[in-house]
Amino acid sequence: MDQNNAGTTGNLLSSGARADGARDWSSELREQAWERFEQLPAPVRTQEEWRFANLKDLGLAQYSQPLPLGDADEHSLRERSHGLDKIAGRMIFANDRLIARDCIGESLRQKGVLWLTIEEAASAHPDLFRKHFMREEAVLGSQKFAALHQSQARAGTFLHVPRGVEIDLPIEAFHWLHGSGGSCFPHTLIIAEEMSKVTFVDYFESDDATATGLACGVNDLWLGAGAKVTYVCAQNWSREALAFQINSTVVGRDAHAIALNVNLGGSHARTESVSHLRGPGGRSDMLSVSVADRRQELDQRTFQIHEVPNTASDLLYKNSLDDESRTIFSGLIRVNPGAHKTDAYQKVRNLLLSDEAEANSAPGLEIEADDVRCTHGATSGQVEEEELFYLMSRGISKKQAQKLIVHGFLQEAIDRVAHPAIAEKLGELVHQKFDAAR
Amino acid sequence: MNDTTTLDIDRSVGDFSYPEVHQFDAGIGLSADTVNYIADVKGEPDWIREFRLKALDVFEKKPMPTNWASKDLEAINFDKIRYYLAHGQKATRSWDEVPEDVKRTFERLGIPEQERKFLAGVEAQFDSEAVYSNIKKAVGDQGVIFMGSTDALIERPDIFRKWFGKVIPTGDNKFSALNSAVFSGGSFIYVPPGVKVKHPLQAYFRINAENFGQFERTLIIADEGSEVVYMEGCTAPKFETATLHSAVVELVAMKGAKIQYITVQNWSANVFNLVTKRGLAHEDAEIKWIDCNIGSRLTMKYPGVVMKGKRARGEVISIALASDGQHQDTGAKMVHAADDTTSNVVSKSISVGTGRATYRGLVHVPKHLKGCKNNTECDALMINSTARTDTYPAITVRGTGNAVQHEASVSQISAEQIFYMQQRGLTEAQAMSLSVNGFVNDLVRQFPMEYSVELKRLIDMEMEGSVG
Amino acid sequence: MSSLEIKNLHVSIGEKEIIRGLSLVVPKGEVHAIMGPNGSGKSTLSKAIGGHPDYTITSGEVLLDGVSILDQAPDERARTGLFLAFQYPMEIPGVSNANFLRAALQARLPDGEELEAVDFYEQLYAKMDELEMPRAFTARSVNEGFSGGEKKRNEILQMAMLQPKYAILDETDSGLDIDALRIVSNGVNALRGPNLGVLLITHYQRLLDYIVPDYVHVMVAGRIVQSGGKELALELEERGYEFIREGIEERETATV
Repeated sequence: MDQNNAGTTGNLLSSGARADGARDWSSELREQAWERFEQLPAPVRTQEEWRFANLKDLGLAQYSQPLPLGDADEHSLRERSHGLDKIAGRMIFANDRLIARDCIGESLRQKGVLWLTIEEAASAHPDLFRKHFMREEAVLGSQKFAALHQSQARAGTFLHVPRGVEIDLPIEAFHWLHGSGGSCFPHTLIIAEEMSKVTFVDYFESDDATATGLACGVNDLWLGAGAKVTYVCAQNWSREALAFQINSTVVGRDAHAIALNVNLGGSHARTESVSHLRGPGGRSDMLSVSVADRRQELDQRTFQIHEVPNTASDLLYKNSLDDESRTIFSGLIRVNPGAHKTDAYQKVRNLLLSDEAEANSAPGLEIEADDVRCTHGATSGQVEEEELFYLMSRGISKKQAQKLIVHGFLQEAIDRVAHPAIAEKLGELVHQKFDAAR
Repeated sequence: MNDTTTLDIDRSVGDFSYPEVHQFDAGIGLSADTVNYIADVKGEPDWIREFRLKALDVFEKKPMPTNWASKDLEAINFDKIRYYLAHGQKATRSWDEVPEDVKRTFERLGIPEQERKFLAGVEAQFDSEAVYSNIKKAVGDQGVIFMGSTDALIERPDIFRKWFGKVIPTGDNKFSALNSAVFSGGSFIYVPPGVKVKHPLQAYFRINAENFGQFERTLIIADEGSEVVYMEGCTAPKFETATLHSAVVELVAMKGAKIQYITVQNWSANVFNLVTKRGLAHEDAEIKWIDCNIGSRLTMKYPGVVMKGKRARGEVISIALASDGQHQDTGAKMVHAADDTTSNVVSKSISVGTGRATYRGLVHVPKHLKGCKNNTECDALMINSTARTDTYPAITVRGTGNAVQHEASVSQISAEQIFYMQQRGLTEAQAMSLSVNGFVNDLVRQFPMEYSVELKRLIDMEMEGSVG
Repeated sequence: MSSLEIKNLHVSIGEKEIIRGLSLVVPKGEVHAIMGPNGSGKSTLSKAIGGHPDYTITSGEVLLDGVSILDQAPDERARTGLFLAFQYPMEIPGVSNANFLRAALQARLPDGEELEAVDFYEQLYAKMDELEMPRAFTARSVNEGFSGGEKKRNEILQMAMLQPKYAILDETDSGLDIDALRIVSNGVNALRGPNLGVLLITHYQRLLDYIVPDYVHVMVAGRIVQSGGKELALELEERGYEFIREGIEERETATV
């Protein structure tokens, strides 16, 4: 038996049937998921999917179900949910309960846009919901945590954009983790039908930056023919939180997905992102910015699966590492037999800011078709002394100079989203993390 | 410069065998008895016997590495293999004394013509034991020792025992343990301080018997400031059933020494070629592996360099060609263990038809080191849509002050490309040759001249008619 | 007989017939455009004429200046004077543009004759300047990592260097933004003249704003169904392919 207690639970997260005893249409699915969760073995480091990872931090025994929340807390969290100035809609969840909803405009409603919580969607549009809800299996090692999520998920947004509808302003969702020792299971499900367009931002926040907690989220994007979806997740859980995030994107014909994950919080945060290039002409941009410090472990696993000919994927992950932090990047480009004319790219860059920091990179390729163009690259380096000196010679302090350089380093990935307001907001979050650290 | 030699790695040349009459045969299957038989025949002292028996134990306990490696390994049946076959355990120094059938085999492979041309020393191993070993007087006079593994351990333990099994411990992996239990033959070389061996030392490995396992063991020690180039070539005839080649090669480069180790592997397509190769580079030393894998059914080989002293350098340059039914699973391991160490990996693979080429790399820059640099480039070329290529690097870097860079690309020569080039007026053969040579050219240039000509010819030959 | 002549051509891929009796004559000095909806067989036509092994010509003739080329290998056809500008130009890693062009030109010289390197580069640089291509381009591998626009410009450069008698430009406008389209079109226009016949295959009318054809042919379901002057392209743009398709169906029904 493995030495770690990864994935073990105490008696607190017991089953899909919640403390309130409520049963809904999906109770059965939840119970099945719970059974799967209990049956699936805990991860071990000899599995390639968990190579480099510290598994001793992954025990779940100390976490309880989502905690109840007082009115005053709700009020304060609503006040603190600062997102973008111009948005088409916003939902705020705290400890897996919806506490505010700024509805999308009447015009979008008239065009048939559905913007609901997943519970509402499950009961009001069961067919559409079931067709897409957790239909893509976790394949990068977190099958067990995906099952846990499915057994618990209630909070989260369901967005259905009908054919040809373009939503110009971004839609936002906040997920707050409040109190200590609790948990939350944020879910985002976006279905963008043919030739539709939408931008969506998830914010994961903790009320107290030092509280413990468990977050286990799933995000599924479905892109119909010619659709364009821009998805951003700003993960800023407490620095003591344990976090899992499982992302899947299915890209249809000529569709274009852009997903950016910003990883700031968590003592141990693992993110798995899979892009299925399923329609010819489809393209997926997979982006990430991670700022690791103290003893953080930011563990990212990616998979670019080219299932059909003439698809493109482009991955750019940027990690800055300070103190004794660790990052792991393990990514695979897979080109299935027959998926000719694939154009796949993968690049991870690590910027080490301290002698104790450790960057692990395992960029992989598995190519079973010819007539493809696949490249990957991984670099690890540090802030160039010359660069620092240049800035300092202009009167900027060393710390400030370093900060500027790191920002510049990270900016490349943020800019790829091509949305100035979002870039500015993310820039702020990154700044806050630096300021808190120093 | 000498004439361009022809190291005969052309498969049609290697594909022959002679009826075997072996004076010594350990029988089929592996047990403590097999190991004892080998030790008895060789007249080994107890410490070697114990080393072997301990290794057997480790081998039996270690699982197959199929959690990450090819499932094809399961096709090896260790109970069906013959672990030791020899004509007589002493290598002869005069070509005339070599048994007639063995002589015929090697004459067909061009030995000892090679020696007459430019080699400083040559050893030829036929199944388990060296059948011919000669070192030119000039080199011998410089104090260079070039002998078989067991002889070296018995006669010069003062030199060899110290490093034997130290660069690659028995338990490094299942196959290094197997080799440690049943090793036989191979080259043990010692180059004294300051001696620069002018011409390459060379070994030929030849498997002639079916169901046979060849387990040679090589240890090269280059003392302070010395330099040596070692070349090995491997062939086997085609048999119906699988054959196993599992060598262990350890290199030790003392302060300021340089070792270059060149392999051209052209085993026939039923050989499992599972080899562990690693070098230890002390201060200012340099170890360079040049590795060319053309034959075998499955090759698993990841030459490594542990850079133990400051400013040590490690390099792996490899070309792999995976033709129909072959899997070349190769790569490099670079372990930086001192400041200002530099490593460089350049890997090019070509997969054709149903061939599969895999690159696995490990780069490790642990704590508190400064000025370490690694550069890795691996490029794969695919010819035909059924081919497959994989790249699995793993890179760990700690601290500031080091620079590590990995780049890989996959490209192809497809029928469409050939058509495209034909549409511009080139013939199919011209188009193919232009593409393949464009791919490997910059790497082939790094091989010693006498190899590069042969290598290009061989690759061109393998490529013929592979697109269509 | 200075023309590229296609006579009652039938082409199949595997069991499926794609070109079903197509006839067309492109005399030297003229530019003919073929337009048609997706799946009408436009690209098949260019590949089949080029001699791509996946396409089987089941009947018909292709004559280059009166001589049949169907028995020739693709490279022989090229050396005879046929040039295809590919819709998706291939990437040839490791082979520089300069080396590739030299090899292609060398292949056109009689045995024993060597290409003059100085002349070659002089000519190459002049053509590159016309196409607004930087010098560094010669050292890059053929089409590798090129943008869509660079690839198409490279096709035109090759055409300029190889000086074919007849050129088939297959959907040259695909993958081009408006600036790249202008440059590529200028390149083609510069090559127009009494010694070159051009067959321009396109889906969109916009290319024909830049390269004005002498004749326009409409291809539907593997056949030329209508031919006319350049104004036919504008009509198609306005009314779409549907009106032609309807016209054919009516005619086909009428003949039953």
